[in-house]
Formats: sequence, C-alpha cells, structure tokens
Amino acid sequence: MRINNFARACLLALACCMSATVIGQEKTGNKEGFALKPGTVKIILMRPVIGVGEQSTGGLYEPNADWTTQARGHLGTALSEAQTQLGNQVMPYEESAGAEGPLVTQYSQLFNAVADSVIEYQFFPGNRLPTKKRDKGFEWAVGPGIAELKSLEGADYALFISTHDEYGSTGRKMLQIVGMLGGIGVTSGVHQGYAGLVDLKTGELVWLNADRQMGGDVRTPEGAQKRVRQLLEGFPGKPVALTTAQP
Amino acid sequence: MRLIIATAMLMLTASSALGNALISPGPRAGIAKSRLSATPDGEWNRLSRKDGKNVELWTLDGDSLNKVSFFGGVPVGEPLLREIDKKNRPLPRVTANMLITDIPALLETTYRSQFSVNQMEIADQEPALLAGNKGIRFTYAFTRADDEVQRKGEGIGAMVNGQLYLVIYEAPKLYYFDKDVDKFRKLAATLKL
Amino acid sequence: MAFVLLAELAFSRPAVAKDDFTLAPYVAAYEPSTVDERGVWMLADEGERQLRDSPLRIRVGGLETYLRNVLCKEVGNDRCAGIRIYAVEVPTFNASMMPNGAMQVHSGLLLRARNEAELAAVLGHEFAHFELRHSLYGFKNRRGATDAMAWLTVLGGISNTPVADTNFSLLGSIYQFNRAQETEADLLGLKYLAQSGYPAQSASEVWQALMAEADASALGRKQKVKAKYSAGFFDTHPASLARAYYLATEAGKLPPGGDARAKEYNDAIAPYISRFLAAQMKLNDFGGSEYILSNIAERSGWTGDLLFARGELYRARANPRDLQQASEFYRQAKLAGYAAPELDRNLGLSLLRNGQSDEARIALSAYLAARPDASDAKAITALLAN
Repeated sequence: MRINNFARACLLALACCMSATVIGQEKTGNKEGFALKPGTVKIILMRPVIGVGEQSTGGLYEPNADWTTQARGHLGTALSEAQTQLGNQVMPYEESAGAEGPLVTQYSQLFNAVADSVIEYQFFPGNRLPTKKRDKGFEWAVGPGIAELKSLEGADYALFISTHDEYGSTGRKMLQIVGMLGGIGVTSGVHQGYAGLVDLKTGELVWLNADRQMGGDVRTPEGAQKRVRQLLEGFPGKPVALTTAQP
Repeated sequence: MRLIIATAMLMLTASSALGNALISPGPRAGIAKSRLSATPDGEWNRLSRKDGKNVELWTLDGDSLNKVSFFGGVPVGEPLLREIDKKNRPLPRVTANMLITDIPALLETTYRSQFSVNQMEIADQEPALLAGNKGIRFTYAFTRADDEVQRKGEGIGAMVNGQLYLVIYEAPKLYYFDKDVDKFRKLAATLKL
Repeated sequence: MAFVLLAELAFSRPAVAKDDFTLAPYVAAYEPSTVDERGVWMLADEGERQLRDSPLRIRVGGLETYLRNVLCKEVGNDRCAGIRIYAVEVPTFNASMMPNGAMQVHSGLLLRARNEAELAAVLGHEFAHFELRHSLYGFKNRRGATDAMAWLTVLGGISNTPVADTNFSLLGSIYQFNRAQETEADLLGLKYLAQSGYPAQSASEVWQALMAEADASALGRKQKVKAKYSAGFFDTHPASLARAYYLATEAGKLPPGGDARAKEYNDAIAPYISRFLAAQMKLNDFGGSEYILSNIAERSGWTGDLLFARGELYRARANPRDLQQASEFYRQAKLAGYAAPELDRNLGLSLLRNGQSDEARIALSAYLAARPDASDAKAITALLAN
C-alpha cells in the first residue's frame, strides 16, 4: 500500500468533513481450502512498506525517520519471531544488482493494485462489486509470471506487508475535541495495514488481511509484536501466539 | 490506496446513486445512456462512477485490474471524458471529419492530458465493423502516472451519424490483460446500435 | 517586456549584500541531524528507489551522463560529487531534488531550455535548494498553512477541495518551497552561474521564456493572457515577472559574456528530440507547442524533425485551414531531409481529411509500399479503398 502524502491529506480532509461512521474495519480473505503446514515452506518477505510519523493538525503526514527505523527494526524482529514459531523460514528480499529491479517493481505495483481492489471492491461495504459481494470465494492473483523471477527463486511464497501510522499531534487531538463538541467528526491518527501472501508458483493471492484500525505502537517492541499479530491474523497455518500476553 | 481515495473523492463530488450494479448474462440495452447494446454471456459489474456524460464502465475484478469503457455516441464538439481541469488541461474534442485512424489518436491525446499518461503507444490498427458501421479495431499500451502499472488496451470504434461510439478494454500487462481479453472480444462481438 | 508593471506588484526586491557573488566553501554530503530532517530524508530514499526502477526513466544513450556534466560545470565538482541524476519522460518543465541528493530532470525541461546555460541555470537553482537545506523548512511551512485550514474547516464549516496528484509531481511537490526560499535559491544560483562560465543572464531568460510560453498557450486556448504574472501563476514561486526582472538586474552586476553552448546542447538532445516533441504535440496545447517549436528553430533552424512535429500539431488541431497548413509542413519536412515513410502516411491522412483524395492516395500508397507490414497497414489500406 503506497501511501501518497497528498492523497492521504485528501482522505483525511474528507474525513474532516464527513461524520465518521466506522464500521467493520478489519477483514481477512483467503483462497478456499488454502492451508499452510508449518516448517514446509520458504517465504520471502518483500521490502515492507512502513511509514510512521505524525499527523499534523491539518491532517498532513509528517514522516519521522527515527520512528520508522525503530518500527522497521521491531516489526522485522516480530515478523521473524512470528514465523519461526510456525517453523517456516522467512527471508528478506534481496535487491540484486541485475536487471530484474523494474520487473519486481512492476509486480509490487500490481500487488498494490490487487490489494486495493480487494479492499475497495470486496472487503468493506460502500463500493462492493456485486460479483464479489456474495463472498463467492477469494480469487485474486498477480499471475503465474512471478514464478520466473530469478530474485525470488527458492522461495515458495512472497509476503507483502504494509503498515502506515500517523500519530495524532497535539494540534490534531485538540481539533478532534473541538470537533466533537461541535458535532463534526474528526479522526485523529491513522493506523492501517495489510499483509498479503502470494504463492510464487501460481501467482495467486492466497491470503490477504486488511485492517484500517490497527493497534500496537509500532515504535516499541511490544507494540510491534501486537501489530504483527494483527497483521498476520488469520494467517494460514497455526494461529500466531507470541510470548508476551496482549489483548 | 489511490483507488480508495479516488473513489471517496468522486463519491463526494458526484451525487450519483451509490452502489455498483450486477450485469447478468443476456441482452442489455441503453448502455452509456445511448443506443448501444450488448449481450454478455457471463456476469459483469457496472460501476456507479460516472467518468463522463456518455461513459459507462464495466469490470470483473475492479477497474484497475480489468475495465471495459463504453463511450455511447459522443457528439461533435464534446470530449470523451468529463474534464478534470478545463482551464489548464482542456481535452480534445470529437470532430465531424475524423478518419478511423483519428479515433485511437483522440483516445491517446485524451489520456496524455487527463491522466498524465507519459508513455502510450497505439500498436495494431485495422478496419472493423462496429454494429455494421465501418470503424477501426486497435490495440495499445500505456502507463498512468498515478499507479505506474503498465497496461494494455484493445478497442473498437466508429463514427456513426456524426457521433463517436467507442468500446475499449484495459488491464495490466502482467497477467490481467490476457486473462480476460477473450471475454471482452466476445462481448464486443455482440455490440448493437 | 513590461517591466513598468513591476511598480504595481507588491514584491520587495531581495537584498544582496554588497553585490558579492563569491561561493562559500561547500560542506560536503551532510547527514541529516535533527529528527525532522531524518524523516524527510527517509521518504526520499524510497522515492529514489521508485525513480531508479521507473519505466519512465530514460536509460538509453548518455543523457544522464550529459546532465551530470552540466550540473558539475554549473556548481563545481565539490558540490556535484555524490549527486545522482535521473532523467524521466515527463513533458513538464521541471527538475527537482530530494534531500538525499537524488535529482530528477523532466524531458519537458529539456525541450524548453534553449541552450546549455539555461538548463544549467535550472539545475543550479534546484541544487541551491538542496545546499540551503530547504526541503525540511518548506515542509514545516506547508504544515502551518494546512493547520490553519483545518481549524477553519471545523469552526467555519468550509469544505476542503481535494487535489488529485500524480507520483512524479508529488515527489517534486513534497519539497515545495515558499517564495522566500525560491528567492534565496535564485540568488545562490546566480553565484553558481558567476563561476560556471555560462552567461549570467540565462537564469532570467529561462523565466522570460516560460512566461511567453504560458501566454502563447493561453492565446491558443482563447484564454486571457496573464500580462501581470502576479502570484497564482506559479503558486509558491515569486511572481515570475518580478523574478525575471530581479534576476536580470543581479546578473547585470556580473561580467557579461560567457558561452551559452547552444550547439553542444543541441547535439546532446538531438537523439531524443523527436521523441520529446511527439509527446509534446499530443498534449492538446497548440499555442505552447508552437512557441516551443519556434524556440528550438531559432537554435537549430527548421529541421526536418521540427517541421514534421509542426505538421503533427496542425493536423491534430484540424481547424479548417490547419489541415492544409499541416500538409505544407510535411512537404517542407521532406525537403529538409525527414526521410521516414511515416511522413507520407501523416501527409496522406491530412490530405484525405481535407478532402484531397487523389493526392492522399499517392502519399498513402507510398507509405504502404515502404511499410507493408506496418501495424496500421490494414487500417490505411481500408482508408484507400473508400
């Protein structure tokens, strides 16, 4: 999920004006019958799209590198822990110096388009496609061509993770309070994410989890673990249980 | 994310009836509020979003993954799509003396202005009949600036009684275009005016 | 040039201390130190990755190498060490720099710069923002404006109008600067110019050309010409007219002369120009495109490429007399040496659309004879058959 600053500002500006009715903000879908036996597969973790920053009063996203670096570190650790507990091997994607860069990027762009479509047209009410509405299974893919990418050789699945956090600044929180008093809904803070698993032999999206209201402060180890647990909720295979007890 | 925001923005600005409609197999008349009709043999979804006065959009998985656009009788002097920025990005218009080869050219100029498409190529062009009218079938490739996904397109168009009828299918070059192009071709074969 | 209008503009001339154009020694490759700076830097790294792998990047030929050489000549080797330059096929007049030292140059700029000095002036200007570490501060300023708007929205019920944007202009506009910063960058840019060997007036001339193009574009669209160029023309830029004026005045304090290197520029751009022109002609901007063509023609004469592009322009607009004009330009292009058979096709299409079937037939047949397997051969054959 590439978060486009201007787009985000627009969305939040809109949220500013509409009354915020927040219904069912978390959803998982997977290919029918898909299951993952622990210890049997190699998963490549594509470069996670992680954005952590502040949300200014005006809804503008201010990236914060310290937080993002912390988040990247903690999320990385939490991800490996979660996966080792399933016994599956998770390798981070290595950018090779070869010519595949643009093609891998194309697959990442395509994945974004697919995930956005799942979220927009199947997961959440508002703009569903009738043919997807009836929950007639989960058939989404980036196509079998992905099997030919050399830089993904040796892996069975690719895991795409995206999280985006904007911690409401003081100004934003003030605005929220004033807004509430005046009957105008102002959201403060953005915590969204999705995680998707692509079968590298077939290119099928076997699993996607989208959450528009995520928990866990990703800047801390505990928060990152909670976030990873939420991102990987419903991950095919054993449920993710981490050592620290958390709601 | 782009898609969600674009949709949300359009939902605010356009006061159209919300909700995308199911297109069941069988004859369907009045497409794009025009004389255009088609007979799909499978299910499609019609998007509630209106990109222009004479435009109707169908999709299977979502318009960024597979999209059929019907342009139903765009009159002389009108652009294909509703202009986003009339002052700084005015769109080219349909003209009375357009040759069949000017039809894909019109689409290209429209896309380069409206969607900041910086790379677009019209590939094959051959004569074809659109519901019995002499027109053109063409293929193309392009990349939009907002999602950078490389897409392919195929279309059929004709000038009929001074109005442009055009039906195009667009999908990402990776996997999606080939997956559904036959469905589009079958659909296009059933077009009637 | 309507300098007399300057009096009406509420724009204060920036002060340059004692006409001093010497460059300070360069503090090399700085590491972002504060929390805010690191935030913007990190976003830029992802941006550079996108840029590097983008399908729009112009990788063929030595264009990026040439651009780097121009930058180094403009700002000096100390400053250009470690800078990465990416050329992208985007038809707008733009070059921008990310705080991590990655610069992107749009093909639209290359089409509009009339010589190497003008290109250098623009690249130098962007580098100046980088040297002055403006991106961070620009960001902070923008936040201030949006904060105010958010409060207005809540308290006053005014609705925000969303602005759709694209990836590339976003990468540039994250680092949008306010007017004071633009002025600072202009003045530092002049210091670069002073030691570069390029004529110092180039910076001013770039803006003059841009304003003239905007006028031409407006005229072509039957819109009002902006004779005053007050704020609004370039949102965060100083009023362009005033800018051209003060740049000219400051440059006047520097020794005249210098080599604008128009020929070198022409040679470097030559392999790409027909591609860039083709994209420009398809933008539905008749006036602006005519202006660009005439500028290039001043430098290189009316070459076959330019005349062909002019034919395309007129044929696309296709007003009553345009098609006749287009046919004439195609013919002139052929005489000037444009050899590709596509010219015959486009000439034929122009003639056909204008009702000159017999002449069209000759031209279209010539195209088909030369390109029997062309991707549009069948369509052209069908046109002939009617």
